[in-house]
Amino acid sequence: MAERADDRLLRLLGIVAYLDGAGPVSVADLAGRFGTTPAQIQKDVDALWVSGTPGYWPDDLIDFDAASIDRGVVHLTEARGMTRPLRLGTREAVALVAALRAMKATDAVQADPARSAVVESALGKLTDATGEAASAVDVRLAPGGDRQVVAAISSALTNRHRLRIRYVTSSDVVSEREVDPVRLHTQDEFAYLAAWCYRAEAPRTFRVDRILEAVETDVPVQAHPGEAGAEIDFAALFAGGSSPLATIRFAPRARWFAEEVPVESVRNLPDGDFEVTLRVTNPGWLRSSLVRLAPLVRSVSPGALADDVAGSASEALALYGAGEVGEGGRDAATSPDHH
Amino acid sequence: MSSDLPPTSSSAPATGLNPAERLLNLVIALVNTNAAMTKQQVRTAVAGYSDAPSDEAFERMFERDKDMLRALGIPVVTVGTGGHTDELGYRIDQDAYALPPIDLTPAELGVLSLAAQFWQDKTLQTDITRAMVKLRAAGAGDPSADALAGLAPSVRAVGDAYGPLMEAIEARRVVTFSYRAAYNGAVTVRHVEPWRIAARDGGWYLMCFDRDRQAPRVFRMTRIESRVRVTGPAGAFEVPDFETDAMLGKTHGEMRHAVVAVRPERASALRARAKAVPDGERTSYDAQLTATAGALAGDPAGWDILQVPYRSLTGMASEAAGYGAALVVLEPEAVREETIRRLRAAAALGDPPGTPGPAGPASAGSTTRTAPTEASHG
Repeated sequence: MAERADDRLLRLLGIVAYLDGAGPVSVADLAGRFGTTPAQIQKDVDALWVSGTPGYWPDDLIDFDAASIDRGVVHLTEARGMTRPLRLGTREAVALVAALRAMKATDAVQADPARSAVVESALGKLTDATGEAASAVDVRLAPGGDRQVVAAISSALTNRHRLRIRYVTSSDVVSEREVDPVRLHTQDEFAYLAAWCYRAEAPRTFRVDRILEAVETDVPVQAHPGEAGAEIDFAALFAGGSSPLATIRFAPRARWFAEEVPVESVRNLPDGDFEVTLRVTNPGWLRSSLVRLAPLVRSVSPGALADDVAGSASEALALYGAGEVGEGGRDAATSPDHH
Repeated sequence: MSSDLPPTSSSAPATGLNPAERLLNLVIALVNTNAAMTKQQVRTAVAGYSDAPSDEAFERMFERDKDMLRALGIPVVTVGTGGHTDELGYRIDQDAYALPPIDLTPAELGVLSLAAQFWQDKTLQTDITRAMVKLRAAGAGDPSADALAGLAPSVRAVGDAYGPLMEAIEARRVVTFSYRAAYNGAVTVRHVEPWRIAARDGGWYLMCFDRDRQAPRVFRMTRIESRVRVTGPAGAFEVPDFETDAMLGKTHGEMRHAVVAVRPERASALRARAKAVPDGERTSYDAQLTATAGALAGDPAGWDILQVPYRSLTGMASEAAGYGAALVVLEPEAVREETIRRLRAAAALGDPPGTPGPAGPASAGSTTRTAPTEASHG
């Protein structure tokens, strides 16, 4: 895609302001600094060279030392007064400040005094430079989980050490594993540890609030196949592929379920109810979710899934001495449920 | 608006100057002018403008360029030229656009670059990229990622409403959109004074004053079903001082404790924050378990009796119900009842012989209730 005019203008002005303070700089360094190619820097210099104040006589133009250019060095000799770097716009300041505030509040940053100090000082300098910090956007990320677990992960990432963890899956199965931590993804709803798992002999992602215990070992992490980049595609992680489909009809108040859980489709019904179709990748999780949400669930299909949910609930009711199905509390929703 | 500007490669005027180069010359001219330049002077003297084929084309070009410069943080100010005519002059005041000195360490700059990955929306990523270009132009060194090695904080995409909402919040203008209410699923058009947008627990919320309801309201942004349109004059309202969490109703309740019986090896996630009831204090709980579950529970000694902290009654009951027969709530009674209510509703979903099938949506549903906020959330 062609570069936008405003982005290029920003760089052209940036190059002049930077060179005015920095003296001669190589084309390669400029390209690195402004995140572009040496060829583009050459074009930018060519454009700057013929720009200036009206009249456009040689003395009116931005000028460079020609001999230096031939050596691949950009040496500004006339800035035509364009020496001041641009201040940050409101939107830019909002995007930076909101992100930094959210990072500062995460457990992973709070757990480490050195990290907190860096984020704190960056935030301080930024708000000094941008004036009154914009409060138009306010983001809080998920709590990371147990404080000791987060501290162990955080420290193992810094020291590049292997971790020993005890983990419970969403189906309530506990396992002990050794993992090489790659990255801690703190998102708005949950935090995830991306790691190489020695038990699975494959990359795995663990929800941090389900890590029951984490111990940093003194074994250095190793390089593993297929780990390069290790960017997690969360959509793929939850995508069900060819798993069977289930369709659930909910009362309106359960709408957050459709918004927070990956679903195949949502159909709004005329009476305000809505119908969700999803892939059953994890039957244990789905059964448990439907029991939790049951007062807002109108119907479940296929029938086998509905019977499974009902059967597990009946078994539990028997333990409460409440086995009879009375007039179910359906839709008397006293308050919205969440998680 | 900057979003519909042509890319630099598109139809350059006859002189061969593309828009970026024309803008560059405009900025240099307006920074260096003694007093101000009139539009006519811009058109005849600044490289790139003389080729505008008509007065109209020139006006459009000049207005668009001014808008783009303002969006980049370079305001073009208007001044009287002091002559006989009412003609306005234009100039750019460098003091107004200059970045105050900001001396960032490589580690601090590394933290700022991490912010680029924090946002999932293209528009917010562009904002961060621009900020970084400006900071690098101000002399900041190479960023070092060491300080936050291995950390990857991010928030889910806000969506297309972000642009117009930010514009409206900054200018204090009213917005309208159509919204699907969670308590009855109905879609209505809303007129609101936007105050703030916030992300909590996987959702984006718009906090605002609802002009139709004449009251402060919270809207869940995923339920906005139309484009957000910015309408009316600027400065139409004041944004009050308020706490995000208080307005979202997320100020946490008091910490309380429930006592539950759990089968061995089960409910590990709950165990992680629970405490075992000491053997000496188990007697009454064991008796209670036997009294309600009878033979089904077997020997009470085969269960673990745990004390679990919670703040939300419905949250605790929901979690307990989700564990099914692996867990029995013993106290308090309110949590126990709420858990049983969920289990009963779930038991009615199936169609085992001898029990009534699930009630039809029309008959069981539709008790009309009003929600305290438009976005019902926990």
